[in-house]
Amino acid sequence: MTAIVLDTAAPRAVRRRASHWRIAPWLYLAPAGLTIVLWIYWPLVDAFRLSFYQWNMLPGSPMTFVRWENYANIFALPKFWQAIRNTGIYILGLIPLAVLIPLAVAIYTHDLPPRSRNIYRAIIFVPMIIAPVVAAAVWRWLLDPGHGMVNEAMSLMGYKPVRFLQDTKFAIWTIIVLTGWKLIGFSTLILSAANANINPSLIEAARMDGASRWEIIRDIRLPLLRSTVLFLTLMTILLGAQWSFAYIHVLTGGGPLGATTNIFYILWDFGFSTLSVGWSSAAAVILFLGFGVLAFILFRLMDRYSFHDN
Amino acid sequence: MTIDAAALNLSVAAPATRRAPRRRASALNAAAGHLVMVVLSIFCLFPVYWMIVSSFRPANSIFETALWPTAPSLDNYVHAIDAIPIWAMLANTLIVSVLVTLAQLLTGLLAAYAFARWRFPFDKLIYTLIALTWLVPFQVVMIPNYLLVANLGLMDSLAALILPHFAGALAILLLAQAMRSFPAEVIEAARMDGAKSWRVLWEIVTPNLRGTIASLAILIFISTWNEYFWPLLLSRTPENSVIQIGIQMFMTSEGTAWGPLMAASTLASLPVLAIYVVLQRQVIQSFMKSGIR
Repeated sequence: MTAIVLDTAAPRAVRRRASHWRIAPWLYLAPAGLTIVLWIYWPLVDAFRLSFYQWNMLPGSPMTFVRWENYANIFALPKFWQAIRNTGIYILGLIPLAVLIPLAVAIYTHDLPPRSRNIYRAIIFVPMIIAPVVAAAVWRWLLDPGHGMVNEAMSLMGYKPVRFLQDTKFAIWTIIVLTGWKLIGFSTLILSAANANINPSLIEAARMDGASRWEIIRDIRLPLLRSTVLFLTLMTILLGAQWSFAYIHVLTGGGPLGATTNIFYILWDFGFSTLSVGWSSAAAVILFLGFGVLAFILFRLMDRYSFHDN
Repeated sequence: MTIDAAALNLSVAAPATRRAPRRRASALNAAAGHLVMVVLSIFCLFPVYWMIVSSFRPANSIFETALWPTAPSLDNYVHAIDAIPIWAMLANTLIVSVLVTLAQLLTGLLAAYAFARWRFPFDKLIYTLIALTWLVPFQVVMIPNYLLVANLGLMDSLAALILPHFAGALAILLLAQAMRSFPAEVIEAARMDGAKSWRVLWEIVTPNLRGTIASLAILIFISTWNEYFWPLLLSRTPENSVIQIGIQMFMTSEGTAWGPLMAASTLASLPVLAIYVVLQRQVIQSFMKSGIR
């Protein structure tokens, strides 16, 4: 074993040294690399710089260095804390829709015949390819307080019409359900695939040993699905609030009274409604660092707790 | 970050032989399973169905609640085409989506080949930095990007919609993964025969990655077609804008023209739905392979 390792180590080192002055890989890398630097990493650095200035983006207007003032102002703003709280609500609200319900459905429906399974699969995937703006438009129509189908159906059942998008109590939950509408089928497919991937002989063996349906789910399926569940949870936490942007922008504009504004929407609001580059950039820096730390912790947790099958 | 799409194909293996006493219970279970899936299917599909149905309802019966259009008409489509330059917008969206797809595949193949073929200083670091780009939300870099477009004088142009998407991390990573599983001996043999790296890439590696390239193309095309945020920042005139911005124009604070809005939404969804109907299996697989996003 050691001999083999030593054996392969030597020529690789030679190749490594020889490759030091090679220009070919850099040429191949250049188009993609330059694009990513120019449109992602340089702008990220620039956002840091701009967060220390006061500027309204109009050409010729003065750009004043204000040190930490933008940050201080943002932290003193109740609207900012409301947006942070809402971001948390979005994420927590999306977890049942993007992880828990799909998990239950995937496990519950695992032994449907393949033919009907394929039909369901084709249907529940559809929301994923519908454009967010189209989805927002259609839901606006369905949820219209005057003539929307949902309220019509509710009034048939004797309920009063609900102003889903205009009522401060309902608006954020409505946006969460709409965001979840796009994800629920997709998550179900991912979890069904992972569930079908479990070796059937494990289940059969447990059944022979007299394990009940619930015991099989609890002791075999759930532990084996853990990495997929963790992956979906991680995605929902890191990207969930971001997915809702188009719905917020098209349907509520962050209102009523800021009830649906999350951190991503407030960045847009600072930047392009009030034209305050400094505020928007400072909020961007806070967002980036916050989610960066969160991502780091979550990746560590995921590494520790995911179950590595075979 | 990736989910094995092969798992999809295995799903057929599940139903096994069952013994007689369990048959009744399992029939009940299956019925309940169907019920769950039917409810979920209605939740997922009804809005899309309702969009299409409403788009065929003339203005005087738009508020009807019958589940199908009683007197179908194309009025809403005529109105939508009159209200906004819808064909120009659809053409713009098509141009942007096709060019972005081609550009990302090209830059992705080149970059992935660099990683697969050579070891070079900082290669791991650069690869990690590319993989980490998904942690940078677009909203964080939107102002510098917007200023860059303004400085380049590209405001309100299709070029500005394409440039930031000239390369994509997902394309690079998926192609690099696919290339790594490509047998190194084949590349080595071609090199021995004196083939230059450029020819090896296009004549040997690329033709063998057709599957990955096809699924990436589907994915990039659909997500570019559906993109909303970046065009929203840049568009000034409807003629130079994409269809997603056009849809938004029917929803104003004064009120919404529901019929034409549904017609425009249907037209905007048609190309993607058509791709889905024809290539359903491949579309689902390519989305699952890439995780979410």
